[in-house]
Amino acid sequence: MNPNTPPPPIEDPLRPHVYDGIREFDKRLPNWWLFTFYATIVFWVGYWAYYQWLHVGPGNHQRIERQMAAIEAEKLAATASTKLDNASLWQMSRNPVFVEAGRATFNSICATCHKESLRGSVDGGIGANLRTQEWIHGGNPLDLYNTATNGVLVKGMPAWGPVLGQKRIIEAVAYVLSYHHEGEPMTLRPATAGK
Amino acid sequence: MPPVGTNSAEPERLPMPAPKTTVEFNDKVVRQFLLASVIWGAVGMLVGVLIAAQLNFWQLNFSTPWLTWSHLRPLHTNAVIFALVGNSMFAGIYYSTQRLVKARLASDFLSQLHFWGWQAIIVSAALTLPFGLTRGQEYGELIWPVNIAVVLIWVVFSVNFFWTLARRREPSLYVAIWFYIATIVTVAMLYIVNHLSIPTSWTHSYSVFGGVQNALVQWWYGHNAVAFFLTTPILGIMYYFLPKAAGRPVYSYRLSVVHFWSLVFVYIWAGPHHLLNTSLPVWLQDLGMTFSLMLWAPSWGGMLNGLLTLRGAWDKLRTDPVLKFFAAAVTFYGMSTFEGPLLAIKSVNALAHYTDWIIAHVHGGTLGWNGFMAAGMTYWLIPRLWNKPLHSVPLANLHFWIGLVGILLYVGAMWTSGITQGLMLNATTEHGTVLTYPNFLDTVNVIRPMMLMRVIGGALYLAGWFLMAYNLWMSVRGAEPVNGTIEVYDEEPAHGDPGRLSVAGWVLNAPVLFSVLGVGFACAWMFGGHIVSVAGLVGTMFCAVVAYTHFEARRKNWGDWYDRLIVSAVPFTVLTFVAVVAGGLIQIIPTVVIHRAANVEDRRQIPYTPLELAGRDLYVREGCYLCHSQMIRTLVPDVLRYGDYSRLGESIYDHPFQWGSKRNGPDLARVGGKYPNVWHLRHLENPRSISSGSNMPNFQWLLTNPLDVGTLPRKIAVQRQLGVPYPLWTDAEISSGVEAQEREIARDLRDAGAYVAPDREVIALIAYLQQLGHFEKVTPSGHAPTLAD
Repeated sequence: MNPNTPPPPIEDPLRPHVYDGIREFDKRLPNWWLFTFYATIVFWVGYWAYYQWLHVGPGNHQRIERQMAAIEAEKLAATASTKLDNASLWQMSRNPVFVEAGRATFNSICATCHKESLRGSVDGGIGANLRTQEWIHGGNPLDLYNTATNGVLVKGMPAWGPVLGQKRIIEAVAYVLSYHHEGEPMTLRPATAGK
Repeated sequence: MPPVGTNSAEPERLPMPAPKTTVEFNDKVVRQFLLASVIWGAVGMLVGVLIAAQLNFWQLNFSTPWLTWSHLRPLHTNAVIFALVGNSMFAGIYYSTQRLVKARLASDFLSQLHFWGWQAIIVSAALTLPFGLTRGQEYGELIWPVNIAVVLIWVVFSVNFFWTLARRREPSLYVAIWFYIATIVTVAMLYIVNHLSIPTSWTHSYSVFGGVQNALVQWWYGHNAVAFFLTTPILGIMYYFLPKAAGRPVYSYRLSVVHFWSLVFVYIWAGPHHLLNTSLPVWLQDLGMTFSLMLWAPSWGGMLNGLLTLRGAWDKLRTDPVLKFFAAAVTFYGMSTFEGPLLAIKSVNALAHYTDWIIAHVHGGTLGWNGFMAAGMTYWLIPRLWNKPLHSVPLANLHFWIGLVGILLYVGAMWTSGITQGLMLNATTEHGTVLTYPNFLDTVNVIRPMMLMRVIGGALYLAGWFLMAYNLWMSVRGAEPVNGTIEVYDEEPAHGDPGRLSVAGWVLNAPVLFSVLGVGFACAWMFGGHIVSVAGLVGTMFCAVVAYTHFEARRKNWGDWYDRLIVSAVPFTVLTFVAVVAGGLIQIIPTVVIHRAANVEDRRQIPYTPLELAGRDLYVREGCYLCHSQMIRTLVPDVLRYGDYSRLGESIYDHPFQWGSKRNGPDLARVGGKYPNVWHLRHLENPRSISSGSNMPNFQWLLTNPLDVGTLPRKIAVQRQLGVPYPLWTDAEISSGVEAQEREIARDLRDAGAYVAPDREVIALIAYLQQLGHFEKVTPSGHAPTLAD
């Protein structure tokens, strides 16, 4: 309370009316309460003027489009600076740091269809078996990378690139490759008929 | 009371004392509502504890449709809102109104009809919601025949209430009555508009509003159900019972006046804060956010008047459980009404929406404010309604402490859980280009301990409630019900009382004129074109200055006018209705009357095939919308996780809309085509076979239930009526279309090694899910072909 105001009377005056024994004081509205109310009204005027009246602030759509464009640019820059080829992916598949990171991603995301055993449909999963040397969409490291990144939508393999990002895709591919050897025989099995 | 006239010409003649009679109040109906609130409250909260436990242990769904989370959640919310708070509110309103207006309730018959009608509605809710009979809109789930019953019973309540006011012996209306009036007129308006539907059968209907219109109307209703069902009547109850229990005068009458009018006016505008960052037009979002902030002070006016009335009575809190409950309840009210505006700030909402933080907010209000007000009122009423003191005061104190610890555990757990999950869902890595936690379940498993804490908190609160039920039973058993009485003078009702206002008197006066002008100018500023807009701004400021000056100069006139207004129930009710209707009209009318083409942005939804429509009705029946949103917000983490943000046109034909309000699981707006059919089949049958660690219930009955296609022609006819561009199909065309699509999906499943008969429900649901996110591009001027073309 403001120390300059004189002490209030012992009991403030009551309103004359009594409702079933209930009486009412008629105290002033607390200043801090009034100013809170006024401040929110002023905020409304300013906010509305900024976004809706003068159109200075960006709308929701403008903002998200701008933000997504910035992300796109960031990704393009990263891709350009990475040299990705079969040899480097095989190299990563022998590096425990990559393989362990890839295992975590694989078990969290890929294993729902391909199973933690990587055997997929053989172990009752929906996805393809990744332990055989028979590949449906190519078994070269870059093939695996492309399949994981872009998906094979007609076969139910989602495009994971936008969701996981390049780094985790590479790690997951390295993890899958860790079950294979460079130069092992590789056959291409055509997709099931009718699909 | 007018002073007794003294006429000097007849000094000898003493005024004749008017004959006295005793009025007995109708407290029977108060007792009935009070008992019902305690019993239904226990049921509603028991269901709450069960569904909280189901989130932790999916096995508790018992693989039984009517025991499944998504079937019981509407039962929990409806029971707590309409059965616990509803019954408690009616008890409080009937008890206090009779005493405040010095008149018995107008009609014993209407009172009994109100009570038994309301209980029948609650029973019918319990017999329909768990079995998937729902309209698919939150707190508006009850099916259309029950909606009609609710409206009729509400009319019974209104007639009984206003008839009692008409027969009042106390001309002046106390602040509690103002809040009751606001409750009655506003709930009627909200409930009727939000439940407008066209039936397709005795148990099913489609909302007349679709997509964004439905979203806007639903949250205008949903938000203001909180305002005018859970807040204003309870504020009225506070204004009666709290000063009674404290034995102290109300802190400030003028605060009552200012916070009542600002509250009822501002509340209505704030509904769109439930739809921030969605595809709702941004002007509505900005109105929702700014008006929510303006609601903070009016709400706190109620808290201040409650807490400051306790000045000089704080010592009683030590011993009196009633005051303990009231003081805590008002404190929780203050906390929730601060948290509400905070959550309505767009950037805070980006983190908190769809998470447990909102659950914390809601339960702070319901458990803290509504539950504790109901408990305090119950303890205060027991000895007054039955001729016997409360069985045990220590037990009531124990109830308070158990309940308080329960709320704090519950709310604390949900805050932690909501903020944790919100931060994890929004976290990005690699320079903000990808999500840190791409698997939704990673964010669910982190908050599991908090989910468990929530069960413990809720169970403690429920235990406290059972203590009250026991205490009530022990107090009432063998006790004699007593009805309150009052001695009144049989005066002629003062016709043509000069205190009352004429029509001109309640329209043509400074407060009303300045309010109407000010709001009118402000709207001109917000929505007008260039010149109108500037004129509006100047007008608003001019109006504010003149009103302030006039008020300072003629303060007494304003006060006198208001004293006369509150002896006039009809004008008071009309002005209240005008105040609450403004915000709704300004937000809803443009959205509803504008041609749909203007509301689609660059995309238009492709109408569902008959099979997909059947699947969508299953989606609604199973309550999928209670855990899965279909709304990708204009926020980077949403777009990274779920794909391109949702456009208005993509849900334009959705009756009801299914944007959702909580993500216990991921968003589904673009799930169509993301996974193969067999993924969905396995996932619906047993989610954990696909997503290890999921807490989603099994919906394995969908694999065996045959799909009901007989109702489809009627449903499609209603959809056509609602403007969905379906061609005029014959019944045979509909069923052959359904069968062809069923066979196609079943064949695809068979190829993937899963065998399901084509005519099972799951096929329809898969058809619907696989279609989600499909749209056609619309050029601004062009007219896209419809299915009929």
